[in-house]
Amino acid sequence: MLNKLLKYDLKYMIKNMAIFYILSIFFSITTRILFNMEQSVIISIIGQISVGCMFSMIASTLINTMMRSWVRFRDSLYKDESYLTHTLPVTKNELYNSKFIQTLTFFFISFAVILISLFIAYYSNENWLAITNYIKTITTGLNMSTLFFVTIAIIIIFLEVFNAIQCGFLGIILGHKMNNGKTGYSVLFGFIIYLLAQSLILGLVFIYGIFDSTVMELFKTTTINIDVKAFKTLAIVSSLLYIIIIFTMSILCKKELSKGVNVE
Amino acid sequence: MKLLEIKSLNKSFNTKEILKDVNLSISSGKIVGLLGKNGAGKTTLIKLINDLLTPTSGEIIIKGNKVGVETKKVVSYLPERTYLNKQMKVSEVIEYFKDFYKDFDDEKAKKLLEDLDLDIEEHLTKMSKGMQEKVQLVLVMSRKADLYILDEPLGGVDPATRDYILDTILSNFNENASVIISTHLISDIERILDEVIFIDKGKIILQSDADKLRNKEKSSIDEIFRRMFKC
Repeated sequence: MLNKLLKYDLKYMIKNMAIFYILSIFFSITTRILFNMEQSVIISIIGQISVGCMFSMIASTLINTMMRSWVRFRDSLYKDESYLTHTLPVTKNELYNSKFIQTLTFFFISFAVILISLFIAYYSNENWLAITNYIKTITTGLNMSTLFFVTIAIIIIFLEVFNAIQCGFLGIILGHKMNNGKTGYSVLFGFIIYLLAQSLILGLVFIYGIFDSTVMELFKTTTINIDVKAFKTLAIVSSLLYIIIIFTMSILCKKELSKGVNVE
Repeated sequence: MKLLEIKSLNKSFNTKEILKDVNLSISSGKIVGLLGKNGAGKTTLIKLINDLLTPTSGEIIIKGNKVGVETKKVVSYLPERTYLNKQMKVSEVIEYFKDFYKDFDDEKAKKLLEDLDLDIEEHLTKMSKGMQEKVQLVLVMSRKADLYILDEPLGGVDPATRDYILDTILSNFNENASVIISTHLISDIERILDEVIFIDKGKIILQSDADKLRNKEKSSIDEIFRRMFKC
């Protein structure tokens, strides 16, 4: 049944996100065209407006992916629609997994749309060279390969986003166990859980540092001369911790959901 | 084996007890009226049977299973509110039900919708609340379920449509299935009831065969209800 749930969750998201994707790409195309035209004051002004619109659509894409995932989760499990959701012959685990996979899928799609928009608007040999040179400067300073740096950066960004999403889901589940002010409590609990998760990761990295002096040095120094080995270790350890915390929170969410709901 | 068995069921919110030690059983092939005043606990009881609320204590058994995936396969539930995703078309909702419920008869649903002059290509958001409720009733009655639970199916409906709805209910459930109808429009449903359950202040105060009760009290269920629940 998970595939069927997922089918409808993905359909819902695409219906709501398509407009942002289309507008983001549309304004990236207009930006490209306008900046390739012979420049006049009018064209330049319209071009700047187009850039503004493109970046606001990119921001909307990211914000909406996150907000709509939380709203969909709440509406589907606790609002009017929940009268259908909870009477479907599916397990609570399947309900949760569907929502989580839907969110992951749309973060990847949104990320791809943002990259495509930026590529359309700004790609040129000079810009590409400038970006690669900039990254090379950083990676040379850190004495690591560009591939490793870009890969670990993307992984950590995604893990951080998934962690935030899970905190939101757990906050919604716990908030809806209260008898009153469910939305308020959901936001409050989500925020507290996020802070706790971040503190936990920091605390565990610190504890790891007790056994690894190179990592501990990162806590003591304020200079940018970071030890390469320590940076790599830190990136890998924090990624692993993120994965463990996301996995643990996922189990907690499912456990709490399986205890049952109290729909208004 | 009873179709539905409820044993020592209690439900509280904070310190407020909504249902108190509810015990009842319903056999197959019955149309049961769950009758009580507003706030008596009818909807709470129905929501507990449908896994929308978690019992404080007690047990609900449907066809030998505790409330869960297996019971949801055999229970068709019509809530008192509109619960469909408004972004969907009626045809998409039919597809949705077909995907999730093996016992859903899409041809029957389309036929019933046609009888009600409802366009299956219309978006739910463009339909009135009454029309959406009709769509929901059609979806629920197009399943070949063992237990139909209808919470206030006549609530927001005009008197002319009420008869159509009752006829739809009567002509669309199989003989071995049971129907629980919660309502306070007793006179409208009296003619179709086999059994009645009176609920007051969270307690079942009467469960009886409808005809036996009428003969014993020498009055209609509606009159008995009015006498018992006189303010």
